[in-house]
Amino acid sequence: MAEVVLENLSKSFGDTVGVEDISMRIPDGAFVVILGPTGAGKTTTLRLIAGLEAPDQGDIFINGQSVLALNPAQRDVTVVFQQYSLYPHLSVRENLAFPLRSPLLKTPQEEIDRKIKEVAEVLHIEHKLDNKAVELSGGEMQRVAIGRALVREPNIYLMDEPLSSLDAKLRAELRIELKRIHQSLGATLLYVTHDQIEAMSMATHIGVLQNGKLVQFGSPREIYNNPVSQYVAERLGSPRINVLPADLFGNAPKGAKTIGLRTEHIVLGRGVKGRVNRVEHLGDHTRLHMSLAGNDLIVVMDPHNPVSRGDTLAISPENPIYFDANGIRVL
Amino acid sequence: MSSSPMECAAKVTPRPLANSIRGLSDRGIAWLFVAPTIFLLLAINIFPLIWTIYLSFTNFRANRIGREVKFIGLRNYERILSDPDIWQTMQATAHFLLWTLFFQVLIGFTLAWLINRKFKGNDMWTTIIVLPMMLSPAVVGNFWKFLYHPQTGLFNYVVQFFTGVDSSSFSMIGDVSLAPWAIVIVDTWMWTPFVMLICLAGLRSIPDYLYEAASVDRASKWRQFWTITIPMVLPFLMLAVLFRGIENFKMFDLVVQLTGGGPGSITELTSINLKREAFEKWRTGYASAYAVILFVTVFGLASIYVKALNKVKER
Ligand SMILES: Nc1ncnc2c1ncn2[C@@H]1O[C@H](COP(=O)(O)OP(=O)(O)OP(=O)(O)O)[C@@H](O)[C@H]1O
Ligand SMILES: [Mg+2]
Repeated sequence: MAEVVLENLSKSFGDTVGVEDISMRIPDGAFVVILGPTGAGKTTTLRLIAGLEAPDQGDIFINGQSVLALNPAQRDVTVVFQQYSLYPHLSVRENLAFPLRSPLLKTPQEEIDRKIKEVAEVLHIEHKLDNKAVELSGGEMQRVAIGRALVREPNIYLMDEPLSSLDAKLRAELRIELKRIHQSLGATLLYVTHDQIEAMSMATHIGVLQNGKLVQFGSPREIYNNPVSQYVAERLGSPRINVLPADLFGNAPKGAKTIGLRTEHIVLGRGVKGRVNRVEHLGDHTRLHMSLAGNDLIVVMDPHNPVSRGDTLAISPENPIYFDANGIRVL
Repeated sequence: MSSSPMECAAKVTPRPLANSIRGLSDRGIAWLFVAPTIFLLLAINIFPLIWTIYLSFTNFRANRIGREVKFIGLRNYERILSDPDIWQTMQATAHFLLWTLFFQVLIGFTLAWLINRKFKGNDMWTTIIVLPMMLSPAVVGNFWKFLYHPQTGLFNYVVQFFTGVDSSSFSMIGDVSLAPWAIVIVDTWMWTPFVMLICLAGLRSIPDYLYEAASVDRASKWRQFWTITIPMVLPFLMLAVLFRGIENFKMFDLVVQLTGGGPGSITELTSINLKREAFEKWRTGYASAYAVILFVTVFGLASIYVKALNKVKER
């Protein structure tokens, strides 16, 4: 349980930028989700905090103390690695016990057994405890990796896409479980994901990375409602935000090049006319793929609408977001 | 167009043969390919083995072909197992085997561990270290004979330099107490690189991220070594020990060249002793029994060992 502060962190691998000038304050007890496309520097950020990578520049503070000189063990963090990193020659039980067997902790055996049992139950891997780690499916390995992080109570939990290989049901369950652990322990978490439901439902803060730079950091609401750029706006929201020429609907602010329309920014029935190209029935809602003066656009409707392919619909924006030529938000 | 392997083979084969190839089933063709190997194996491995077992129950002597061969039951075996000289060679072999394995594993693993760290020029060092292994055992035996020479040899000189013991006061090959160590040293010098290479393969197979996970899990370097490095290299190490063990049980050329089994019969290992019985004393039946005993010993030890190895791998 700790506050973690990153100050102007930079790390390059030869010519490749890992992360560049990242500053971030992760308050004690925060659940921070890092978003960004592949190669944006999410894993690198985690590894820098864990002490597995040394920054070229900048500093990292845990509870107000610079930890640059400390090794991963001294920083007292746990990591769920993207590639699981289980000990292949050990059983699941031994994998889970490994962090507890540290001589620093001197955990008594009953305590270890109790912890393992508890964690195994939460993750539904009790029946696999005596399997060797290599004899597991991808999803099981991933759960063991999460379990290995959860048996301890470190300064900060670092999780790199921990639910990526699980099925939808398990994922939903573990999402709730992680949230519960976060709340009941008051733990600090840094969590990498591509999944927007995970981000929106669990995060207290979201950080968006672009080519190694932190472009926005704030609450999920803030990131969703007030993205600083088209790039950030595209990270959240499903379907993805529609981006159209700003002058399509008239009265765009000065300097605006494009207009960003989330589905809730769209009012149907008046305004510019477009054609429905495809109708997707997704159960609880229906998506209309439309073309509007040569631009593609996705609109969400309630499932009982009578619209079908080839129909014409009028559209107008409501509280849209405008971006300039560089994709930066125009207010 | 049909293009089964059989069709293709038949197309490029002369007429009469082509027909008979077309007639063969997959199984038939498989046997056709395997047959020469099986025949050779039977001819040069299995048959001699069975023949040796047969001879071991007789008093056959290969230098007196005409004489009647008598079946003498287990007499040869009884005589071998109660012969103190043979127990002495067994002991010499055990001494040689255990100490060479011990040093080769210890030094080989340590070298591999050092070479495996990322430093400049470790490829060059690997090549240099591996050189002795590439020499012929006869050559190695010969030049170590020179190195061990009490007056002119480099070895004695180096010992004198470091310990102050007079270089001409001892002879590695000539002294009864030193000769067993002389052969251990040479074999270790020659074959440690082999153990090192296999250990290196083992070490390289351990992914970095395991050490990263362990360091996050607050395992000290020492604990990482014992809980990750050793268990994951162990199957490789055991394989190296198996290879070296079998090789050294049969050790012949290097030691013959170096000491010729001497002084006396102090370094007369079983295979040297066996050769003497078979081709100097011409006691063929007796030597056959001897060979069978050695074969059973190696085979027994090796199978127990391989079982253990598989268990380690499964773990
Ligand atoms: N050890 C390394 N050596 C060289 N380049 C590296 C190394 N680690 C990361 N990089 C580079 O740094 C950049 C950021 O990588 P990082 O692993 O942080 O991406 P990521 O955001 O985690 O992506 P993903 O979603 O695919 O996991 C990438 O361009 C990557 O190629
Ligand atoms: Mg990553």
